[in-house]
Amino acid sequence: MRSPRIAALAALLLLAAPLSACSSGPAPASTTIGIGVDLPLSGADASVGTSTLDGIKLAVDRANAQGVPGGFTFAVQALDDTQQGVHNPQQGASNVRTLIADDSVLAIIGPYNSNVAAAEIPITNQAGIVQISPSAVSDGLTLGKDAAMLRRANPGVKTFFRVCTTDSRQGSAAARFALDLKLKRVYIVDDNETYGLDLANVFARDFAKLGGIVLGRDHIAPDTQDFKALLLKIKGYKPDFIFFGGTTSTGGGLLRRQMFDVGMGKVAFMGGDGIPDIAEVAKKRADGTYYTVAAPNADLLPAAKQFVTAYKAKFGSDVGPYSANAYAATQVAISAIEQAIVANGKKMPTRAQVLAKIPNSAKNEVLTPIGPISFDKNGDVRKPVISLYAIRNGRSAFIEQLNLSE
Amino acid sequence: MHEFLAQLANGVELGAIYALIALGYTLVYGILELINFAHGDVYTFGSFTALVVLVALRAANLLHGAGLILGIVAALVVAILACALLNAGIERLAYRRLRKAPRLAPLITAIGVSFMLENLIELWQGAAPVPFPNVIPNPELEIGALQVGVQQIVVVALAIATMIALHFFVKRSRLGKAMRAVAQDRDASSLVGIDVDRTIAITFLIAGALAGVAGFVGGVSFGSAWFLNGFGAGLRAFTAAVLGGIGNIAGAMLGGFLIGLLESFSTWFIGGQWSNVAVFSVLILVLVFRPSGLLGESLPEKV
Repeated sequence: MRSPRIAALAALLLLAAPLSACSSGPAPASTTIGIGVDLPLSGADASVGTSTLDGIKLAVDRANAQGVPGGFTFAVQALDDTQQGVHNPQQGASNVRTLIADDSVLAIIGPYNSNVAAAEIPITNQAGIVQISPSAVSDGLTLGKDAAMLRRANPGVKTFFRVCTTDSRQGSAAARFALDLKLKRVYIVDDNETYGLDLANVFARDFAKLGGIVLGRDHIAPDTQDFKALLLKIKGYKPDFIFFGGTTSTGGGLLRRQMFDVGMGKVAFMGGDGIPDIAEVAKKRADGTYYTVAAPNADLLPAAKQFVTAYKAKFGSDVGPYSANAYAATQVAISAIEQAIVANGKKMPTRAQVLAKIPNSAKNEVLTPIGPISFDKNGDVRKPVISLYAIRNGRSAFIEQLNLSE
Repeated sequence: MHEFLAQLANGVELGAIYALIALGYTLVYGILELINFAHGDVYTFGSFTALVVLVALRAANLLHGAGLILGIVAALVVAILACALLNAGIERLAYRRLRKAPRLAPLITAIGVSFMLENLIELWQGAAPVPFPNVIPNPELEIGALQVGVQQIVVVALAIATMIALHFFVKRSRLGKAMRAVAQDRDASSLVGIDVDRTIAITFLIAGALAGVAGFVGGVSFGSAWFLNGFGAGLRAFTAAVLGGIGNIAGAMLGGFLIGLLESFSTWFIGGQWSNVAVFSVLILVLVFRPSGLLGESLPEKV
């Protein structure tokens, strides 16, 4: 009974092996250069994750269509860092190891989340491979002692870059936006995670510095379903708005939704780039929400318009909150790889040669849909822009943007 | 005063949901001495079945006027039936054949069933929280200094009605008597002609039905359903059952309301991030100082 089953299973596996090799794209040959990707592609972050991946695919298709020096072609190798429905740092680390083990992979785009990035940076740093995140905003990934700890395997080498900005830049921009909107009295809530807590801390500090009134602060516990007790308490302070540090899935969506259940529906709600998808949970009750995104508004840049048209034509859907960033990150990586190919006599370059070609000044900026990109000595963009959006009738509407380098 | 009453009302609403789930734990424990860890996920399943029915009815444009009330009743009934059948099915497939196994075997099986349900629900409905239709409009009513929503009243009333029905069923009906008999002594009850397997199956049906009601009112109250909801809610309800005295029906109700109030007031006084700490500290304190719970009687150790 047992042995025929095992035999059948083995036969199945043998059959499946060549099939799975086919389905994962063209067979890796010496003329293929892998663009490794690590993103949350299923679970609660699936909608932002897949629209981010689509941005990467579009950039790779463009580069292949235009022709790569040395006759190479780029291929996307995407892995999913979701476990049990949420992004998972250990899964991210294991994905990055898998990508690094493949010699044809010369750059990694991702991850989406800061806590995943913190688990991956030591690995990419040790391997000396370029890693560009479209969206991981936590300060400690590039700045200060935390970043130095992440680079301890190879302290002299900086392999991690990001095309988004940082929590501290975003938090202080949000404080300025709130006062522009004549919102003066705030109650601050965060989800106690790396991203949310940092964002709320910076916002609290800068909002008070600019003359706003912080009525109080609270943190929410993971897995909380009932926010009405917290909201009833906040209601007593009569705030103009609630600032939330966190994401839709860690409580932003339900918090906004339950505000209506305690008679706070008319009070404004504001957060960072963790809640652009808030309408998916709060539905019509999302109206009155403001959020910041660490990127310029795509509609305001000529290069962005082309990107938006091409994206819609290829995927038949609206651009996601980080699609343009992902496209830009991929463009930067591809441009560095192409320069390295040329410098290496049209032969396959090494990872170190690619790293050396990452743009670092106004002279070698890469033009992208989110503006010209080059990185400072920490790996952050040199010209950060933050945009403010509002949810109206269940859709995001652009309000204004701040250029932080001016 | 306003805020105190509002927090009180919120705690009662939350407590009603926990009490309904806690009853499921306690009924099953009473009869099998099994902590059915899959029970929280049956609750999640109830939320999703009610949600699916309501979404379908709304898509068919049937949720107006009298249709709204009928729709709510339909969603509730479907959730109750689906959860009752699911729970009885779990008992039949996973627990019955382990009836004579050492106690640890069904306990671990229950954890396995819980993981399985969570992942099946994720396959079915995805991993993102799904918004629950806003079926009960929530204008605020003022009763003296107390502000309550219609939704809150419906949730609490439905939960209390269910508990009263359960009480009479267990105390008055023949089946209820059989359940109590099997809980007391399984061998002796089979000697007097009670079909033990059938009685256990019926207990699981009832526990499942309660989870169905809880799933519906939980969805209405929280405004969303999520595949992992049952884990957190289940743990809190389990704490409620232990607090009241596991195996004791009145204890589960009391414990549920106490835990709901504790969660609400601890959020108010010490902050949202401490509410879990408050709830689970109670679990530890009860287990250490009064393992039989508030209303439970200390049982002699069974050999």
